[in-house]
Amino acid sequence: MAEGGDVEWELSKENIQPLRRGRAISALHHALSQQQDGLSSAINQQRQAFESELRMYDGDDPLDVWDRYIKWTEQTFPQGGKESNLATILEQVVTRFTEGNKYYDDPRYVELWIKFAENCPEPLDIYRYMQAQGIGVTQTSLYIAWSEEYENQGNCRKADLVYQEGFKKCAEPHDKLLQFHKALQARVSRQVMMNVEEDDSDDEPKEPQRVSLADLKSRGKKKAIAPINRVGSAIRSIPGGIQSHGASVLGNASNSKLVVFDENKTRAGPSEPKLESWAAPPTSKAKENEQKPGIWCDVKMPQKSKFGHTVMAPPPPKPTFQPFVEESDQPPTMTPCKINPAVNSVLSARKPCREETPLKRLQEHHQQQKEAESGKLHEQSMYCKELLLSGATEFCFEELRAERYFKKVTQEVKGEKDPANATPN
Amino acid sequence: MTSTLKGITLKGSAELVAEFFSFGINSILYQRGIYPPETFTRITHYDMSLQLTTDPKLKNYLTNVVCQLKEWLFECTVQKFVLVITCLETNEVLERWQFDIECDKSAKETSAPREKSIKTIQDEIRSVIRQITATVTFLPLLETPCAFDLLVYTDKDLMVPDKWEESGPQIIDQSEEVRLRSFTTSIHKVNSMVAYKRTDSA
Repeated sequence: MAEGGDVEWELSKENIQPLRRGRAISALHHALSQQQDGLSSAINQQRQAFESELRMYDGDDPLDVWDRYIKWTEQTFPQGGKESNLATILEQVVTRFTEGNKYYDDPRYVELWIKFAENCPEPLDIYRYMQAQGIGVTQTSLYIAWSEEYENQGNCRKADLVYQEGFKKCAEPHDKLLQFHKALQARVSRQVMMNVEEDDSDDEPKEPQRVSLADLKSRGKKKAIAPINRVGSAIRSIPGGIQSHGASVLGNASNSKLVVFDENKTRAGPSEPKLESWAAPPTSKAKENEQKPGIWCDVKMPQKSKFGHTVMAPPPPKPTFQPFVEESDQPPTMTPCKINPAVNSVLSARKPCREETPLKRLQEHHQQQKEAESGKLHEQSMYCKELLLSGATEFCFEELRAERYFKKVTQEVKGEKDPANATPN
Repeated sequence: MTSTLKGITLKGSAELVAEFFSFGINSILYQRGIYPPETFTRITHYDMSLQLTTDPKLKNYLTNVVCQLKEWLFECTVQKFVLVITCLETNEVLERWQFDIECDKSAKETSAPREKSIKTIQDEIRSVIRQITATVTFLPLLETPCAFDLLVYTDKDLMVPDKWEESGPQIIDQSEEVRLRSFTTSIHKVNSMVAYKRTDSA
């Protein structure tokens, strides 16, 4: 039995992202065996081929290339990650075809959107955006993915509502929508049944309880008590951080010592939070530190003497002598560095800042498009920027030119061959 | 009790293999979500935690199958044991777990126990079940409600018992096949394999 080679996938099973459609085992073996010796040239070549195909394609279904590229990427990089460029490609393809709604109801395009959403920190926002833009609103797969996201977050009611929306829009294929909706209902009802049974079995009053970890005990002389306020099972739905509603915290005796000042509370009394542009900066009535900023260098902390008066410590006298400095001694003005000091513009790849979510970029792109349509755009690139920057990597002019040249050459060769073949027949 | 036992007889081997199938089927049914996860309970066996069904009907069915299987294992007349997962609506075969069984028929004549400790065998079984669990990394998601079926390939001349019927092989066309580990009790050798519908990429 050729078992030796076959266990490879098992050894790195944690590094393989499961795919909805499963993986081709041969591709998986291939990918895993190549992982050890870095990115092989074969993979790089294939990627390059896809990249140039993206740019050179001139048929009427450009999405097809992207679709194949992404599927190839998924199979070739089982662990995902930065190397695969998957997130970049997905964002590119999704943004690219928002112009003109040719693909809005194409199942492949919607599938790509869903993959994109699953790669994003907030998939629900993406689904809402899709709905608002009318992308895939007649596709069952959108509603399934959306509903599953809600279900994963424990919001079964919303998950059900999503399906209702799908029915309203007559999403296709209808059977599939119906079947998944039924499955959801079955799961929910089973859960409810289980909960009822559990409620019957234990009569204990529902009091605050810790989920898994026990109270931390103090060790040695330190009597510090770690504040812990995990309460019930509902705690899971709140993403980590401070609880803003204090009601449950009050029940926990160990925490009552520590009252966290919440400056939002005093302000948010009568007015409801509204999304509007701020006319003026918010009033600072809840601020604690009212002292004006000033010069700090000569200020001393008043010290209490034994008798209770405050005395100022005398300022340290200035040295009356000149410290000796050796003539030859010159303090190093700079730490030695390898970079030529004349070059002061060091470039590094731009990292997207944290607030910049893919959705935000999308919306910006959308905004730009609108502006371009209304003729407001002030910039216009006079080179084929689109071609250079599409895909996951950047091309240079020469690469494009070479692609075109080779295409032409192969066409010419074909053109010469065809008549030659025609004569003997 | 097991530590003192050094060898293994045909009867013991049949029991061990049948037990493996019982746990193996349960694992597959749980892992692949054929039955809802709430209907399973966790137990510890082979020094690992396993999921066993609590559904009374399913339990009864499995016990019957495994009992019959044990008999055939004892007679060394089984060749293959197959678990087929089909789509409930279209009856299309989506996954096929195949366990090839090689019986050493000479064990029927000589009753002398073979030299292989139960611990070693159980270690081998454990790694097979671990691998079954790990297959979720490449198997496609079963999106539709599914049913399962158990097939047993036996020697030709065997009488078909009342509760069994003859069936086709239920093979998936255009399938991807992955060999899993095998184990042997030195009387029965079991080779495992899973076949699933090929992805339409590539």
